[in-house]
Amino acid sequence: MWEALENLSWIKTLGSTGWMYSTVAVTHYFSMFWCIGSVAIVDLRVMGVAARKRNVAELADQLFPWAWIGFVLATISGFFMFATDAGDWAPSPVFHVKLTLIAVSAIVAYVVQRGAHKWALNPEIPRAAKIVALISLLLWVVTILSASEIPALEGLG
Amino acid sequence: MHDTLVAFAKWLEGTPWGHTTRESIWAYPFVQLIHFTGLSIWLGTNFALDLRLLGLGKRKATAAQVAQELFAWNWIGFAIVLTGGFMLFSGIATAFIANIAFQWKLGLFVPLALIWHVVVQRRARDWGQTLECPGTAKAAALVEILLWICVVTAAVQIPNH
Repeated sequence: MWEALENLSWIKTLGSTGWMYSTVAVTHYFSMFWCIGSVAIVDLRVMGVAARKRNVAELADQLFPWAWIGFVLATISGFFMFATDAGDWAPSPVFHVKLTLIAVSAIVAYVVQRGAHKWALNPEIPRAAKIVALISLLLWVVTILSASEIPALEGLG
Repeated sequence: MHDTLVAFAKWLEGTPWGHTTRESIWAYPFVQLIHFTGLSIWLGTNFALDLRLLGLGKRKATAAQVAQELFAWNWIGFAIVLTGGFMLFSGIATAFIANIAFQWKLGLFVPLALIWHVVVQRRARDWGQTLECPGTAKAAALVEILLWICVVTAAVQIPNH
């Protein structure tokens, strides 16, 4: 099944045409940084170490749309990168770890986004909220690490 | 000039951190992690300001406020990028300075984008007094985004050369 995806004529063209693959890769890195950076700033704000004067809910409203646009772009471009070598990527255990971490990080980011409005009503941000934000931040760091480990451990990418 | 650069690159490769980045298989992903984590914070904060100058997204805060409140983490992010980048560079410095994509990245796009960013960030205090920013501000913000895309593009090309 994955070989069939890899062998689609337009996927083959994408994988073997230098500028096309580069464009997809640039989109992937770029939108990934944009997504993670936007979430990280809100996490740091909830933790009380960034933009302390700014209302948490307002900052979340400003940054989360960018985070999700970045997330969608990174997912689409990532899928194309996967498709060009799907047969090798699909069975990779470290890649499975990466995909799982992305899913968990995205869910926790959504919890932070929803929570920001509730937490903004308190005079002081609850400690539990700060812990959730810290977990969100650490999850993204571990996600990046898992991505960096794929070439190191499995020679892919 | 070139000889000095090569000598410096060779010296870097011989430093303990140069050795570690190059020869330890477990260290490299961690060093890349430092570089990428910093890049996320750096680019995330840069774009938050650029997009606000452009008038895109939520406009409750002015661009001047956004520039001011993100200033500290913007530069903390940059310090993290620089730390990771310097370590990555130290590992195979001589190969990097001979790499055409790296030369474009570090020799042209990074200095240009960095200077541009400093100017945009400083000028945002004036441009961003009101909710709607002047045309100059929007053009400058758009140019900054394009310059960082150039930086990432050059970086992605490094392994191909």
